[in-house]
Amino acid sequence: MSDGEAVRLLIFRVGNLACAAEAATVREILPRFEPTRIPGAPAQVAGLVNVRGSLVTVVDGWRALGQPAPSGGPRDGTTVLLELDAGRKVIGFTVDEVIDLLSVGGETLERRQALPGIDPTLVRAVGRRAGQLFVVLDTDALLTPIFAS
Amino acid sequence: MDLSQYAELFLAEAREHLSACNQLLLEWERNSAAREPVGGIFRAVHTVKGMAATMGYVRVADLAHRAENLLDSLRRGSAAASDELLQLLFRTVDALERAVELSVTGRERELDVAALAAELDRAGSRVAPPPSHGRGTPAAPLPPSPAEVLPPTAPGRLVQVALRPESPLKGGRALVALRKAEALGTVHAVSPPVAAFEAEDFDGRFAFRLESDADAAAIAAAIKRAGDVDQVTVAEDESAAPRMESTAVEGGRTRHLRVDLRRLDALMDLIGELVIARGRLNELAALRRDPAIDDIAIHVSRLSTDLQAEIIQARMTPVWQVFDRFPRLVRDSARQLGKQVALRVEGKEIELDRAILDELGDPLMHLLRNAVSHGIEPPAERRRAGKKPEGEIVLSAVRERSSVMITIADDGRGIDRDRVLERAKREGLVDAHAEALSDDQLLRVLARPGFTTAEAVTSVSGRGVGIDVAMTRLRAVGGVGHERYALPLTYVSETVELGAAPTTTVEGRDAIVLRDRVVPLVHLRRLLAVSEDAAPPRSPIIVLEMGERRTGLVVDGMLGQQEIVVKGFDAPQGTLPLFSGATIMGDGVPALILDAGGLL
Amino acid sequence: MSHTVLVCDDAIFMRTMISDILAQAGFEVVGEAETGSQAVERYKQLKPDLVTMDIVMPDMGGIDAVREIVKHDPDAKILMCSAMGQQALVVEAIQAGAKDFVVKPFQPSRVLEAVQRVLG
Repeated sequence: MSDGEAVRLLIFRVGNLACAAEAATVREILPRFEPTRIPGAPAQVAGLVNVRGSLVTVVDGWRALGQPAPSGGPRDGTTVLLELDAGRKVIGFTVDEVIDLLSVGGETLERRQALPGIDPTLVRAVGRRAGQLFVVLDTDALLTPIFAS
Repeated sequence: MDLSQYAELFLAEAREHLSACNQLLLEWERNSAAREPVGGIFRAVHTVKGMAATMGYVRVADLAHRAENLLDSLRRGSAAASDELLQLLFRTVDALERAVELSVTGRERELDVAALAAELDRAGSRVAPPPSHGRGTPAAPLPPSPAEVLPPTAPGRLVQVALRPESPLKGGRALVALRKAEALGTVHAVSPPVAAFEAEDFDGRFAFRLESDADAAAIAAAIKRAGDVDQVTVAEDESAAPRMESTAVEGGRTRHLRVDLRRLDALMDLIGELVIARGRLNELAALRRDPAIDDIAIHVSRLSTDLQAEIIQARMTPVWQVFDRFPRLVRDSARQLGKQVALRVEGKEIELDRAILDELGDPLMHLLRNAVSHGIEPPAERRRAGKKPEGEIVLSAVRERSSVMITIADDGRGIDRDRVLERAKREGLVDAHAEALSDDQLLRVLARPGFTTAEAVTSVSGRGVGIDVAMTRLRAVGGVGHERYALPLTYVSETVELGAAPTTTVEGRDAIVLRDRVVPLVHLRRLLAVSEDAAPPRSPIIVLEMGERRTGLVVDGMLGQQEIVVKGFDAPQGTLPLFSGATIMGDGVPALILDAGGLL
Repeated sequence: MSHTVLVCDDAIFMRTMISDILAQAGFEVVGEAETGSQAVERYKQLKPDLVTMDIVMPDMGGIDAVREIVKHDPDAKILMCSAMGQQALVVEAIQAGAKDFVVKPFQPSRVLEAVQRVLG
């Protein structure tokens, strides 16, 4: 995300938080699946799902970001398939809803990181859409530690 | 002509020939009066030269050519293998191996073989009877390149297309381009065939013949309109041969075809999908109770089982393909240490899955080096111990049901248990007052990272088991609560019901007594921390057996036996180390596969 | 007169995005469909100049929808929308009669290029 260059962002909501991920890392947007539990995995891991014959490990977005559980059942919401580690891994990330796909100039994003309700190390930048703040997540920083051995 | 597509094929084949050279050199070293090895080495080097020249790897070809001259003199003459000569040839083969690898990666310039080349020439002129002098130029006749021997296989002009490297889903784009060509005339002999466009690693280069009245420029322009097209060449010359078919056509004489392992992997994955679909069909057939559907389901079952078996068979490779480089390795390590060691290889013809075999090479190499440096004693010490000065290492492969056991044994001094015990105490691995180590403890100590190279083996056996599982019948174990797990049938010896056999405890663990043997129990519910608490009153126990070890696995129920496909998954940190992979059940839901070895 | 387009995708998000890209470029989005069978039905009813078709949709998939539409109108101009890694499906779709494809995540310029190729 270098300055000045336009970035495409996928905007979504997790709990009370409007978040964004770089569209380049978004492989696919899927409905929410019922996952198979992985014994021993940390709480934020929902489990394993079948995406057209491939197994994808899914992380619950609300748990990973310390947000309240979605009000609907576990089948509510959306799973975003994210590429981690420069495409070497594909991980599912559940969100409450996908809001928008935006193209923003790098200069309209602020490198501010202190924002209430979220760990500053997970924030790459802060942007604004329709007057509302959203945080551009560092998905690698958020998700890679869950898989590091 | 673009040859990069042949690079892999060249590499595989050149490696094979050079490995054969090593074998033959060792043979010659043992029996220096023999003539056959020299002839074999000469032919292998000659073949490498021809291939390298065709590929345009001038330096490889030149080095091979000089070696060939020397070998030619040797095979015509009667000189016995001197140590000096053998060393030179061993070094030449090493240099050729390196040269081949560098050339294929486009780093041929880094090669510096001038000194070796000069040495070869000198040795050549020493052993040479005069006749071989006449053919001392590197430009010796080469075999014709594939394109020259190929007849044109279809009417029309040859069209070659390369898509932009960054273009996504090249197969789809290639097909769009083909449609544009079809709008101009009739398309023949598409190469690679359209089916290959579906592969994820299709590189975006393809060729075909086009019968059309349009001129070359119009054809190129039409194809470019497909988008993402980097280059189109339309042959003006009607007789130019399609270059891409040469790999497949390479003469009607060979019936073997080299297949990229990734192709087989892709096939394996597709079969996996087929097996899953078959499972669904079977479920549906059972539900509908329609004899017509039943018949088809049974037929499909049989076909997919056969297909799977065929593909597994196609992946099987005899172990000698990897083992054959070891005699040379053992010889070199022994020489460096001033030892004499012979390596005997048993069970060379045993076949293993290619992927496992590739993984085995390095760890086996470590173990062999270990055996030479730590196991086999120097000749003097061996004589004092009343052994013959030459030590022996035996590398053997033996098939045992669905496993292959690979053993390395040496007749050296063995493991110094006292030293290991001392070290184990120091590292706090055993009680400070322990007097001796049990075999089990010994192994655990030795397998610690840094202690020996055994950690390399552990990681491979982990992978080995995983793949073995893929090819074995698996039993779906009726999980615990609502969770389902699969377990490889290979290690399941029997099932009993909890309560049917007398229970006891051993070292604080539940156990059952089965035909006078105590079998410790593992409660899967507890092990996997299943949250639901309503366990059924009578639980089945699956008895796992591996060698002498047995364990009873207490589950809630059994769901049946079926073939599954093992898939990997990204395991989060903390995942219990009990799984060798996961699979997709007939209903599309993933289930984890328990690693029987881990449970035992 | 501007070209008419039918946008077929099961995700509202994707439909919106595609519609926006096309509308900004002067196309007239005359209808949307969220399943394959809806796509077939709307095609017959609206006779658009162009269809954008997602490959994976509930009810009837995009590829089957292409087959149905082409059966009805061999000259139908259909642009597939695919995710990365769906090579085999894209190939199948083109064999079924789709004219071209674009790959998600979409870049407007790529989408418009493909649309021009299909219409041109």
